[in-house]
Parts: sequence; structure tokens; C-alpha cells
Amino acid sequence: MFFNLITRNSRRSRKENGMFFATLLIAIIAFYIILSLSRQDVMLFLQEMESDAVNRLLGMIPVFYVMTLIILFFLIYFASKFQLERRRHEIGMYLMMGMTRNRLFVLLLAEDIRSSIIALLIGLPAAVLLSEIISLVTARLVGLGIIGHSFSLSLEAVLWTAAGFFIIKLAAFLILSAKISRREIGSLLAERPEETRRQLPAPVYALSLLGGILCLGTAYYLAIRGMSWYQIRIMGLTVLLGFAGTLLFFFGLRFVFSLILRTGKRDRRLHIFNVRQLQENVIRQSGTMAVSSLLILAALCCFGAGVAMAAHYGKSETHVLDYTFLPEYTDEPNQEQSAEDILDILKKTGLDTSFSELFEMKIGHIYAKNDDFENMYTMDSVMREIEKLPVSEDRDVLLNNLEYADFPHLISLSGYNELLRIAGLPELALEENEGAVYMDREFVNDSRIRIMNGILAGSPEVQLHGESLRLTGTVQSTGVVTDSSITLSFALILPDEAFQYYTQNRYDVYVNGVLDSSTAERVGLMQAISGMNDRLNGTGLNYESYLQNMGRQLFYIVAASYLTIYLAIIFIIVANTVIGVQFLMNQQKTNRRYKTLIRLGAVYEALCRSAEKQVNWYFGIPVLVAAASSLFAVRALFSGLLSPRTQGSVQELMLISAAMILVLCVIEYIYMSAVKRSSRRYLLKLMVPEREE
Amino acid sequence: METVLEIEDLKKYYGRQGNQTKALDGITLQVMEGEFLGIMGSSGSGKSTLLNCIATVIEPSSGKIMMKGTEIHSLKGKKLAAYRGREIGYLFQNFELIDNLTGRENIMLPMSLHNVSDKESSKRLSRLASYLEITDVLDKFPSQMSGGQKQRVAAARALIMDPGIILADEPTGALDSRNAKTLMKKLAGLNQDENATILMVTHDSNAASYCKRILFIQDGRIFHELRRDTPDETQQEFYDRILKVMSQLGGGSANVL
Repeated sequence: MFFNLITRNSRRSRKENGMFFATLLIAIIAFYIILSLSRQDVMLFLQEMESDAVNRLLGMIPVFYVMTLIILFFLIYFASKFQLERRRHEIGMYLMMGMTRNRLFVLLLAEDIRSSIIALLIGLPAAVLLSEIISLVTARLVGLGIIGHSFSLSLEAVLWTAAGFFIIKLAAFLILSAKISRREIGSLLAERPEETRRQLPAPVYALSLLGGILCLGTAYYLAIRGMSWYQIRIMGLTVLLGFAGTLLFFFGLRFVFSLILRTGKRDRRLHIFNVRQLQENVIRQSGTMAVSSLLILAALCCFGAGVAMAAHYGKSETHVLDYTFLPEYTDEPNQEQSAEDILDILKKTGLDTSFSELFEMKIGHIYAKNDDFENMYTMDSVMREIEKLPVSEDRDVLLNNLEYADFPHLISLSGYNELLRIAGLPELALEENEGAVYMDREFVNDSRIRIMNGILAGSPEVQLHGESLRLTGTVQSTGVVTDSSITLSFALILPDEAFQYYTQNRYDVYVNGVLDSSTAERVGLMQAISGMNDRLNGTGLNYESYLQNMGRQLFYIVAASYLTIYLAIIFIIVANTVIGVQFLMNQQKTNRRYKTLIRLGAVYEALCRSAEKQVNWYFGIPVLVAAASSLFAVRALFSGLLSPRTQGSVQELMLISAAMILVLCVIEYIYMSAVKRSSRRYLLKLMVPEREE
Repeated sequence: METVLEIEDLKKYYGRQGNQTKALDGITLQVMEGEFLGIMGSSGSGKSTLLNCIATVIEPSSGKIMMKGTEIHSLKGKKLAAYRGREIGYLFQNFELIDNLTGRENIMLPMSLHNVSDKESSKRLSRLASYLEITDVLDKFPSQMSGGQKQRVAAARALIMDPGIILADEPTGALDSRNAKTLMKKLAGLNQDENATILMVTHDSNAASYCKRILFIQDGRIFHELRRDTPDETQQEFYDRILKVMSQLGGGSANVL
């Protein structure tokens, strides 16, 4: 009998309160996904490439696990509270019929464990499936190819998931059952306990509202001016002000509601009823609303910043070269011989057939006799042109950077043209006394390149080692070697004879290679490079492959986006579920009011409209506050986190973030619709007349 | 005098055949304009079911309910809402005030529900409030009012739309005798002075003695009818007659062991 009761109760709970059950599933999935991170294809791949950084990242997983544990505890606590609140009357009845408190405790505990097990049985396979999908999708997105994918079930992750889930479930249960067992039977059986909150005088709320707005304003100001990043103290102050401001704002919000009520707008379609309902919710739950709003803000920040940073790192230079072989370091001033050696070794081992292209890239400096580096290169005409431009940030940066370009690298034209041909770009044609400018994209953004191109169009004359040279063409920026972290801020591309003349035959020769496309197409570029690396390791050659670049980039993408997006999703789920559950809980607590409205002749549609309006505001207020704050917070995050060289694209990143915020608003809309549907269903239940005799 | 409410052979059965409860078993009655009709009966006699049928809260199994010539169970949607809002004013045993609205907001609630302009009604509100002596609690919340004040606020809410009939379901049920007396005096006064039509369900003989006519219901049927012989009969004499009928209900002393 007892067991039947347990089974039946837990089944009924699952059916009646789908939201609660969904919350449990979400908790399980969240745990598993963070714990199985190390088994993701991308992570496995990265572990080979950038093992140090990845291991550090994976070392942080326990921290994320505990964080998830804490956040989800609140979620489960809320959902369980709602669940028990619904059953108060029933629990009172059990006690009335003489069930001992111990037995009741066992009953509730057994139900709880039963529903937890069912949630785990459904949630774990779903979590494993979802984690596999994420693994496949990310692998596909970053171009790993799905050939190397193998189904991976992390037993450890499963165990920890179950453990974490049970811990928070049990903790929430113990706290709630302790609370409920302390209540009197009478208060359990009563329809609803009278909770009257002491009201403070209105000016207190007005002051709180004002204080909240002031705190928030100060926090915004500190954040957006970037002052918060100077000192940890100011950062702490900003965060504290933000927190306090939000809490005060929500606490003082009831003042706004009483103002709305006092303005005496015509009471149509239950306007006053709606405002009163909202006011009551705001009064009772201003803290929860503030915390939900902060959680949404955190989610928006994580999402915006994560996606923007991933997009930034993901947008790399076009990939042309697969390999660069580096010359052995010798005292020999001319490295031609070592380049020959590299090609020889490749030919001997038969590896050269795997490359569709192998060519030399010669890079050197002006040869300075007696090490006199003064005034090797001057471009006064270019500087003058730039100075003529209207004052702007770009102009200042260019002036500053080019001032130091008095001893530029030189690149030989033949090698560079080879590179352009492979990249599918038009080759350069230079006369004897002409040169082209090379600037790496790391140092110049689009607008600066536009400025430079404008000046180069006038073929300015510059002085190289005392001889005049005309600069032509447009600014070149195709990477000269594979390793994208080797960059040249300013270099000159010269015809081969001139190159040899100025360098006095003292230069470095890099051998660049492109893999045969047929292999790359068959097994995927990553696998092709991996395989080639294995073979090259036996030759003793010194080389850089595209894989390292890829790995580094991937790591940034994954580290920046994966975790921030994960956190964003957790935050948004928790905040929305809390708001939603709270709304529905309040609606059920105040069901008498709705019944009265029905008796007064309210039709179903009118009730739904009223409830929907309440939902809109109940969700809308925290979301709007969060969205307003996030505009400043994301901006502050960018100015603090991004290195100065990417500051130029802050505007672009802000745009991405704005788009993400929009997406999150859509998510909010979906949540609101779900709550509205749930509320409609509940109201329909109320519409059915009851026999009250 | 016009007939406001006409009920014809009204039946409401609960349950299936074989295990059927006949809550209402063929009730026929008429309520005239300006009448103060009481319906009495022991609990389970069907009086609340009758009221709920008239209020369209429950649907009868068969029979007709005509409000000013309109069959109310054929009403749907907006017309039904308009009927509930404008034709009937409901007074509940437990007041059914919404606890987070002030007295004024509670009274104005039907206007808000039915989108009625509140210019006219605010005049009506102040008149009702002063008549029902609730002017000084209009801006208080129900939790700050006494039981009597709550029920008078509820009465104002039932009257604000100037309904064709007021349905009162044990309005004194949750009141002490003093407050009950005040309320009944006010209701009788409204009936007398404003010609308000009131249909009141009660099993309080004291409250019933304010009525002009009383129907006694037993097991879903009309069992007896009393008419107060105004103005010759005093309220006390009418009350004694009510008590006599009450003692006859359920077969009188025949059922007493």
C-alpha cells in the first residue's frame, strides 16, 4: 500500500508538474555536459596540439562543476518548493489521518528518490546524446571532419553527474521537508496562509528606487569608461554597486506601481487587478526578481562576450600555406644552401611528392656596414601625407607605428609572387626601382589599410639606404610563412635583383609547402597534416605546420565560446525557470482571486489576457533591466578583455553582442509563451465549476 | 409588476443512473421585480445548486431559466459575460473580495471586467458607499476591514452595475449577529427604497424574516411557501411562522427518535 502510494504520487507529480521534471532533466544534462568536456572531439584533438593550455582549462572543470552545482541547487530548491507547496493540503491530510511525521518523511523521501531515478534514467541518455551532438557539431564547425569521431561514454562523468544531482536534490529536499514539518496541520490544510508584509512608508521605497538608479548609473559609468580595469578595488566597487543597485531598484519598484495606481488611469480590462498582482509579486519577491535579473545579465554578458570573442578568433587570415621549413641556424650569411638541403632531404625521403607546391621565401634586412642602422629607411613623403589627414585615431596610430619603421624587413618578389599565385591573388609587377609595402593584418585594420592604399596610389618616393625608391600597388598582407604568430609590422617587397643588392646576399630562406589537395580532400586537412607530421618527424627537419595555428586558434574559440556559452545557457535557464515557477506558484496561491473574477462574470479570454499581461511584465521587468545593464557590461568586458590591437573592431563585436542579446530576447519570448500556456491551462481548470456543498 | 426571473421545471442530477443524486428535481418559480425572495432549506436540499444554476456557474440537466424573457443557458461568449456582469449581482457567503485590492478597487472590479465607463459609476459608488456606511474603508484592503464591512463592500460590488437581480448566497453565514442584522437591514432597505430585486438563499431564519416571500426547498423540490402579510404582519410574527415551517421540514418530529 505504502509503495503503491509512492509510485502513484511520483507519477502524478511528474504529470502535473512537467516544469519541475524538465528542471530535473536540465540539471542532469548540464552536469554531464560540463563533466564530459574532456571527451569532446575538439578537446581530444586540442590536447595533442596545445596540451598545456587545454590541461589548464580542463583543470578548471571541477570549479565549473561546483559552480553548476550551486546554481542548480537554487533551481532545484525553487522547483521542489513549488512542488511541495502544491501538495500542502495533501500533506496536511496525511498528518490528519494519523500518519507520523517520520513516515511522512519517508514517504516524501521515497517519492523524491523515485522521481530522481526516473529523471536520471531519462536524463542521462539524453545528456550523452546531446554531448555527442555538440561534439560532432563543434568538430564539424571547426573543420575537424567527423571521420575521427568515436562514440564516447564517460563513465566517470555519468557517476559524478548522478552524485551531484542526488546531492543537490537531497539537500533541497531536507531543507524543504524540515520547513514543512515545522508547520501546523491547520496551516497546511488552509487554502493559503495569510502573509501580510509590513509596509514601510512610501518615501523609503522612492529613496530605494532612486538609490538603485544612482548605484546602477555609477556602475555603468565606471564600467564603460574602463576605469574598473585599472584596479581590482574599483572593479570590486563596480560589481558591488551593480549588485546593490539592482537589489535596491527592485526593492523600490513598488513605488512605481503605487504611482501607476495613483495616477488613476481608467481601469479597463482588469488593469488595476493586473497592477496589484504585479505589485504584490514585486513586494513579496523583489530579491528573487533582482537575482533573476542579475542572472540574465550574467547570461547576456557571457553569451555576448563569448560569441564575439569566438567570432573574432575564428575570423583568421586566409589559409594558404600548410608547411614552412625553417633553415638550420648557421653562421653562413647566405642561407641558400640550407634551403637546398631541405629540398634534398624531402626528395630523398620521397615526401616531396605529397606536396603540390614547394617554394622559397627569402626575407632579409638592408645590409648595414659597420652596424650603422641610422636612417636606413625614411619615408618623409608618406608621413607628410598622413599628417595632412584630419585628426583621427587611425591617423595617430599610423604615424606612431611608421615612425619606427626605419629598418624594415625586405622580401624578395619572386617568392612573394609564388605565394600570391597559390593564394589565387594577382601577382605583383615591380620595376627596377619600385617596391611594394607589406603590413601584417595584426597591426592594421581595414580603415588604416584604406589610408595607406590612398597614399600609395600617388607612388610616393622614399629613401632606402640613400637611394630613392617608388612605392606602388596596394598594401600586401598575405602571410609569408605558415606560423601566423610570426608577423611583420612593416616590410618592403623588392624585385629580386634589388633584394639581393640591398641585402648583400645575406638573408634567410624559408621553404614553404602546400600539401597535395587530393590527400587533403580524402582524409580532411587535419588528418593529412597530422599524417605528414608523423613522417616528417623522422627526417630531422625543422618545420612549422598549419596545425599549430589551427590548434591555437581553436583553443581560443573553444575556451572563449564553449564555456561562456555553457554558463550563459545555465544562467538563462535558471533565471527563467525561477521567474516562471514563481509566477505559476503565485497564480496557484491566488487561485481564489481568479475564481472570484469568474463568479463576477469574467470570461476565460479575459482571465487569460490578464494573466498574459502579468507574465509579460513579470518576465519583462527583470529582462529589460538585465538587457539595459548588459549593454554597458558587455562594452566594459570588451574594453577590458580585448588586447589593444583588437580594440579597433569593438564596434563590430558590439554588433555581434547586440545580435546575441536579440537572440536571448527570443529565448525569453519562448519561455514566456511556455508559462502563458501553462497559466492558460490552469485557468481553464478554474473555469470548471466546482460543487461547493 | 414585471417578472424578472422565471424558472420552469428545473432539474439538476448528479451521477449516473442507478446512483443518481437529484439536487434539483423540477423547481418552478417566478421572481417579480422589486421582490425580496428567500429560499430556505437544510444543507443538501439543493438551494445553492439552484442559485448556481441561475448564476450560470453550473449547467442544469433540464428545464428553463428565463431572465427578463431570455433563456440564459442559450447565452454564449460575450452575451453570457454581459449577463453575469450586468443582469446579476452575486453576494457570497465568504465575501469573495480580492485581498490585494482596496475596497474601492474591489467594488469597481465589475466595471473593469466589463469595460464600463466609470464616470456614471463613481457617482453610484459614492451613493452606495454612504448608504452601506463603508465610505471610510474604501481605501483599505480587505484584511484591514471587519467582517461586516467586508460583506457590505461585497454588497456594493454586487450592486455597482445596477443588476436586474441580486443573488445572495448565505450572505450572513460568516457574520456575527450584530453585523448580520446591519447587513439585512441594508438589503431590506435597498429592496424597499430602490426597488432592488433580491433572491437570497439562507438557512438563518432571522435573516429570512426580512424577506417578503420565502420558498422552502427539500430534496430538490419546493416544499412550502410563505408570504409575509405586509404591512399587517410584524417581522417577529413572520419569524415565528418561519420557525414553524422549519420544524416541519424533513417530516417534522416524525423523524425524531
